Amino acid sequence: MSNLASRQPWALSSNTFKLQLALVSTIPSIIGVLFVILGNLDFSIGLVGVFLPIQVLTVAAFGWRKARRRGLSDALLIFFTIFFSTLVLVLLLSVLGSVIFEGFKAMSPHFLYENNRYVGTTTSLEYGGVGHAILGTLLIVLLTTVAAVPLGIAMAVYLTQSQSKMRGVVRTVTQSLAGLPSVVAGLFVLAIMQFTHIERSGFTGALALFPLMLPTVARVAEESLRLVPPDLRMAALALGAPNYKAFFQVVLPAAKSGIITALLLGLARVVGETAPLILTINMNNTTNLNPFNGPIASLPTYVYSFLGSNYSSSQQRAWGAALVLLIVVGILFGSARLLSRKKSLKTKPAKKAKK
Amino acid sequence: MMNATSTASTLSAENVSVWFGERQVLQDVNLVFPANQVTALIGPSGCGKSTFLRTLNRMHELIPSAGLAGRVLLDGQDIYDPSMDAVDVRIKIGMVFQKPNPFPTMSIKENILSGLKLSGRKITDADELVETSLRRASIWNEVKDRLGDQALSLSGGQQQRLCIARSLAMNPEVLLMDEPCSALDPGSTRRIEETIQELSASMTIVIVTHNMQQAQRVSDQTAFFLADENTPGGVVEFGSTENVFNQPIDPRTNDYVNGHFG
Repeated sequence: MSNLASRQPWALSSNTFKLQLALVSTIPSIIGVLFVILGNLDFSIGLVGVFLPIQVLTVAAFGWRKARRRGLSDALLIFFTIFFSTLVLVLLLSVLGSVIFEGFKAMSPHFLYENNRYVGTTTSLEYGGVGHAILGTLLIVLLTTVAAVPLGIAMAVYLTQSQSKMRGVVRTVTQSLAGLPSVVAGLFVLAIMQFTHIERSGFTGALALFPLMLPTVARVAEESLRLVPPDLRMAALALGAPNYKAFFQVVLPAAKSGIITALLLGLARVVGETAPLILTINMNNTTNLNPFNGPIASLPTYVYSFLGSNYSSSQQRAWGAALVLLIVVGILFGSARLLSRKKSLKTKPAKKAKK
Repeated sequence: MMNATSTASTLSAENVSVWFGERQVLQDVNLVFPANQVTALIGPSGCGKSTFLRTLNRMHELIPSAGLAGRVLLDGQDIYDPSMDAVDVRIKIGMVFQKPNPFPTMSIKENILSGLKLSGRKITDADELVETSLRRASIWNEVKDRLGDQALSLSGGQQQRLCIARSLAMNPEVLLMDEPCSALDPGSTRRIEETIQELSASMTIVIVTHNMQQAQRVSDQTAFFLADENTPGGVVEFGSTENVFNQPIDPRTNDYVNGHFG
């Protein structure tokens, strides 16, 4: 057993040291909590005014005692890393938590498949749902994806594989397009619609989302193609592969996981977009599966139209739709990742060779 | 098993000069690589021997600024003739790179068959071709039970022999090797050298190497490349390996092969 103990000689050895570490990491928070409860302090003041200074001081003293200046810098770096990571995590989790908590109240099976045809602002939650908006969101996003992903990948291919002098221009335009405010994209399409007298429809919504998704897909796909070692393409060409086969059978598969990330980030960019859809589609309370005829509902616009209401049942509908949107995004992301993993597993098992 | 059906060809370079942009890196290289012989290209770094090797199967032209003058003849036919397709040239003249570069998304077996697939040729008996190619690269025994594994699961030396096997599956007439052992340990190096010896029975081999002992062990003839400062490189001496190493004519060759510089 004594051999076991010596396996990690760098582990904390002395008990006093462990005790000091425990005190340094717990005492400031205890004092902070006591101040907040007993002194009736506001939580944020307790956190920033009491906990933070005490914690910084104790951590600094602890580090100084251990290794003077070097120990001090080390200890402070570690503390701030943990503090801010926790802060961000708490903020994110509270957003997620409130959506789940509030959204769950509106949740019921019929909420997922019914539409809003007979729902007013005061209608009880027992009636109506977001079924039409789920279908609408999927339809619009699918339409955008079908157009933006192949084009985005094609742009990435152009930017990485060609030697043309236009690449710089294309890349700059793509990058500035990536920062395009979504309202502007919506306004642009709206202007076209009014000029050409095209009616609002799912198609015009997808048209407004397209310039948002394209640059994201193009940029991420370009990065992932750039990471494929040029050696691989050379090896393929040296084996007598024509350019297009070297690309499609060697370079593209090697960049597959990056390309899927590009697809996911592109989806993430557009799936929750509200402003361009409000401008180009507005709202629809009934189910419409034809993207070329009449408005289509979508989850973000659904949330927008109900959240502004003063009635609690309407607000809960909005929360419920937000939760459904989160779930839809989760399912989309999860299935894309699963799809990419399944394919790469196929080549792994050694069974085929044994027969 | 070792049905070496490929007929080796004679490859020759006539007055080959090479440019990158305005900079000339090779001047008037004249070399003949007779069928079934192993030729070693030696010389210090930056003298243009790898570049020269890449002109022999038209990989050189893939560099955007590349330029070339002279002729490269495969059995008397100029591979740079406008009627020749670069793809056909590369099918006949295979290449093994300095760093092992198996295709990471493919299994061992798929790697071997990749050349045929990529060049659009029909695969008649896949299993036999895989076995023959792997045997010729003397790696069959190590991988025969794991042909479906990812190519990257192999060690560096095994990966390089897989790459050799991948080239052999194409049944090339000439095999170009660009420092194939520079990233490998002595054990793997020895096995690849043995492979080269066996392969020379069925093909012509040109190998770039920085290792003098290796050149002496594997090659029948040796060409010594040298580039003086700011001048294009060229062949200083070319002859049988025996003569180049033991009775060099040029004093610079003598200095180089005896380790006085480079």
